[in-house]
Amino acid sequence: MRLTTAALVAAALLSPLTLAAQKRAVPDIWGVWMGLGGVEDADPRFRNTPYPRDPDFTEWGAAESRRLASANTPGECNPWGPVGVMGATGLFPIQILQGPNVIVIHHEAITQPRRIYMDGRRHPPADELLPTFNGDSIGRWDGDTLVVDTVGTNGRTRPLNGYVSGSVLSSGVDTAPRLPGSEQLHVSERIRLVGGGQYLEDVISVEDPKTYRKPWSVKHYWQRRRDIDVQEYACEDNRRRDAEGQQITGTEPR
Amino acid sequence: MKLLSSIGLTAIVLVAQPALAHHSFANFDLNKEITVAGTIKEVQFTNPHVWLQVMVPDGKGSQTEWSIEAGAPGMLLRTGWKPNTLKTGDAVTVVTHPAKNGEANGSLIRVTLPDGRTLGPGGPPVALK
Repeated sequence: MRLTTAALVAAALLSPLTLAAQKRAVPDIWGVWMGLGGVEDADPRFRNTPYPRDPDFTEWGAAESRRLASANTPGECNPWGPVGVMGATGLFPIQILQGPNVIVIHHEAITQPRRIYMDGRRHPPADELLPTFNGDSIGRWDGDTLVVDTVGTNGRTRPLNGYVSGSVLSSGVDTAPRLPGSEQLHVSERIRLVGGGQYLEDVISVEDPKTYRKPWSVKHYWQRRRDIDVQEYACEDNRRRDAEGQQITGTEPR
Repeated sequence: MKLLSSIGLTAIVLVAQPALAHHSFANFDLNKEITVAGTIKEVQFTNPHVWLQVMVPDGKGSQTEWSIEAGAPGMLLRTGWKPNTLKTGDAVTVVTHPAKNGEANGSLIRVTLPDGRTLGPGGPPVALK
């Protein structure tokens, strides 16, 4: 009897279906994740590395950085781009919907999700690529690490490290330079579960020869939050600051 | 306007700033904080930001309507607020960064509810242990 059971288990483990399932097994990153950027009491093992304060700007990059360091926030309701979405500030959650052929990442404050294609495709040829805010993202699993490559951004997103608050800028509290992303932006990410699967680590590497003479990278952490639902965020809804004469601008024409 | 205090606190700027990172809060003086007491006229629990309309007595028989801007609804829901936390007529004390132009509006630092609890403008939720 014991032998029979062992034989059945062995047969089940070796069946084509089981072997196929084992081959497909990848880390489970499905769910809601909260960035740890502003959370003081988070696990000290998982701290975001800061954005570079003195990146090696090209001449164009330096000028663009100065232009973006203004109290105006042009196109603030537009998608934030791949780096902005994965910039863990602690203010908004992301929700990852993980399928075998595509991984969709929805950031609460952004209407357009990131779509990372996992079906083995390559980026379209450069002359067929339609520039978009989030760009063209393809991914693959390298062991337990999700490797994502993004090109084809349109150079019109907010700075990669977000807008600076105008008041903060004028009060001198936040003097970090804004980090532009041009249409030459190339983002490489290595995403993996850490901390027993309760944290997500994203090593984000940025190459953008129009803006920076040297690549740079940051590491961001997200905490799994089964207790949090992503809320609706309608950026264009109650925009009272228009009526009250406060600073609001639309997308800049290009 | 019943002005209870007016002090500049850099520490408050640093604490409040992350909650306001999405939109420009250029019109508010983050180096200044004032306290106003009044009653809730309306709560706009809306995107992209929540607004409190507060009627503040001036001590001479009339009132000024203050507009107090908080963070996004999702941020507030994750930091102790519910859409019905404040109702019309509730007595509140509001600590706010006032508008630079002197108008009766500001960005919320914290509000004391009728039951004595204090809530903030939204921001990072407490991390799980």
